[in-house]
Amino acid sequence: MKKSPLALLLTLGLLNTPFSAFAATAPLDLVGPVSDYKIYVTEQLDQLGSHTQQFTDAVKKGDLATAQKLYAPTRVYYESIEPIAELFSDLDASIDSRVDDHEKGVKADDFTGFHRIEYTLFSEKSTKDLGALADKLNNDVKDLQTRVAGLTFPPEKVVGGAAALLEEVAATKISGEEDRYSHTDLYDFQGNIDGAKKIVDLFRPQIEQQDKAFVAKVDKNFAAVNKILAKYKTKDGGFETYDKVKEADRKALVGPVNTLAEDLSTLRGKLGLN
Amino acid sequence: MKDLEQFSAQRRRVLMGMGAAGVALAGTALSCPAMAAASPAQVTEAPSSDKTEDRHDFHGKHQTGITTPRPASGMLVSFDVLASDREDLERLFRTLNERIAFLMKGGEVTQVDPKLPPVDSGILGPVVTPDNLTITVSVGESLFDERFGLASTKPKRLIRMVGFPNDALEADCCHGDLSLQFCSNTTDTNIHALRDIVKNLPDLLLVRWKQEGSVPPQAPAKPGVPAQSARNFLGFRDGSANPDSNDGKAMDAIVWVQPDSDEPAWAANGSYQAVRIIRNFVERWDRTPLQEQQSILGRVKSTGAPMGCQHETEVPDYAKDPEGKLTKLDAHIRLANPRTAETQANLILRRPFNYSNGVNKNGQLEMGLLFICYQADLQKGFITVQTRLNGEPLEEYLKPVGGGYFFTLPGVTGDKDFIGRSLLNATQPTTNA
Repeated sequence: MKKSPLALLLTLGLLNTPFSAFAATAPLDLVGPVSDYKIYVTEQLDQLGSHTQQFTDAVKKGDLATAQKLYAPTRVYYESIEPIAELFSDLDASIDSRVDDHEKGVKADDFTGFHRIEYTLFSEKSTKDLGALADKLNNDVKDLQTRVAGLTFPPEKVVGGAAALLEEVAATKISGEEDRYSHTDLYDFQGNIDGAKKIVDLFRPQIEQQDKAFVAKVDKNFAAVNKILAKYKTKDGGFETYDKVKEADRKALVGPVNTLAEDLSTLRGKLGLN
Repeated sequence: MKDLEQFSAQRRRVLMGMGAAGVALAGTALSCPAMAAASPAQVTEAPSSDKTEDRHDFHGKHQTGITTPRPASGMLVSFDVLASDREDLERLFRTLNERIAFLMKGGEVTQVDPKLPPVDSGILGPVVTPDNLTITVSVGESLFDERFGLASTKPKRLIRMVGFPNDALEADCCHGDLSLQFCSNTTDTNIHALRDIVKNLPDLLLVRWKQEGSVPPQAPAKPGVPAQSARNFLGFRDGSANPDSNDGKAMDAIVWVQPDSDEPAWAANGSYQAVRIIRNFVERWDRTPLQEQQSILGRVKSTGAPMGCQHETEVPDYAKDPEGKLTKLDAHIRLANPRTAETQANLILRRPFNYSNGVNKNGQLEMGLLFICYQADLQKGFITVQTRLNGEPLEEYLKPVGGGYFFTLPGVTGDKDFIGRSLLNATQPTTNA
């Protein structure tokens, strides 16, 4: 290794620096929130399962209007627990991959799941040839339920999930590219935010022990995002399409979202998790 | 070439002569290649530079990155300001001030608990080298809207860029509340600085668009021979007739807003920044006869000299060529700078970079000029010059697609000052440092 004396000194200096700025939260303190989170995920998956059944039934019956209506409210359960679902990369790809993930686009054989069905429902305005895709989605969701039931939730994945959800929002929701055919991005947006907020809420006592001001700041930014999202809620409990979001509101979402992404990226460290 | 052949022949001999022991030895060498004594340069050995410690003083009457020499790498980033009130706007300026001061000076990066994300991207390692970095802060017309109560202090000539007849402006690479011009020796240094700023200001700045560019280094000037300008992607030397940036008086007249001007008092020692992303149709240009290229530009391609001249630095005498026999009347350089007494008022200081952005849908190269210029009067400067150029024959090969007008803030005079303070103070009693 070629190292300048300065670099060497620095390395030595680093070694002497006490790294553990945060006292690790006692593992026992994490057991409660982690198991509560598993209950939350299981409930969300139960909802996802029953909604997916109704959604795919409508698709198979050729009931385009109902299928279109159920598309977004079904997905929202997936979006709220995405970091856990993503632990099973094969299922995440078959349930939730987007057209950009496939070189051959909508024609790709392995493009399945919500967004492939979304394409036919909203872009082609049809339910034609969706039978097999509907069955597969239903089966994949059931498979996901089974696998999650047997999963021991790693605390660092649970806590890290809050940041992961905000990265989802920052990378794909602000632009409105997630649900590009249905423009129902706000459902997913809310799902991601709710899922992240849930994690913060479950670990609130432990985080507050480390950094009270941090929790206040995070709460403030969640509130800022929710306030803007609430402007676009419809009477039936759903959301307006993303193209209705005013430019000023889209910009106003960016600051709190990016700040939440930055702040929540420190959450694992704050709780002393690796 | 000969050395290379010898080298590979030697390698072949070594490789072919190796038995099992040789393989084992090779294995050892592979696991720690730097231990090999006097080994020839490795593929991954970094290019070396003795300029990584070059630095500019952040403090001064004027901002840097305007009259300071243009280094090899430039980047213009336009932002939307997300601040919702003046307090946030001040926090934005103060944070920018602190980050720019650090990045231009360099130094050790703060180390934190490794369970946390590092505070720095690490692109430049644990000790940030300034690498000749300048970051120039300018504000757009939209910052003076109703949000911050700055309307009454808007620089008089600051407007939202209006498309010229040949422009095909793309909405997503135009305008902005704030621009940062990064200039340094390497792209990586600029990117490091941008990522530092983005990470430190997530709630206050949103990147709107960004354009990187480069300047090809020239061979060192020979003694007694003036330095030559770099070439743009049309293959012509660009910057030949730029005003002398070492001439303080000329810069006061051309670039810097003066304290006794009709501009708001806070704007003194600032400047107007005009940015244009000008796409060049290079395939078409390369299929154009040389003499036509030269008559369109008004310069000899090989030397950069004006038509009928020998050297780049020679000044064309248009008075002796009233009919445009030597330099066409609509040649680019003649329209841009007719060199008359009246047009002296239209001089601008150019600071362009070549850019290359990939390929368009027709398989043509997306490249051109990241044009940046500074002037004390935007109207008399860039806008007048570009208006004279409207309809020039060169337009057939150009398509401006983006950019914007900004006002470059006055310099930060010392530790008690911060960037943008004079602007904030102009509409508020005092903002203490």
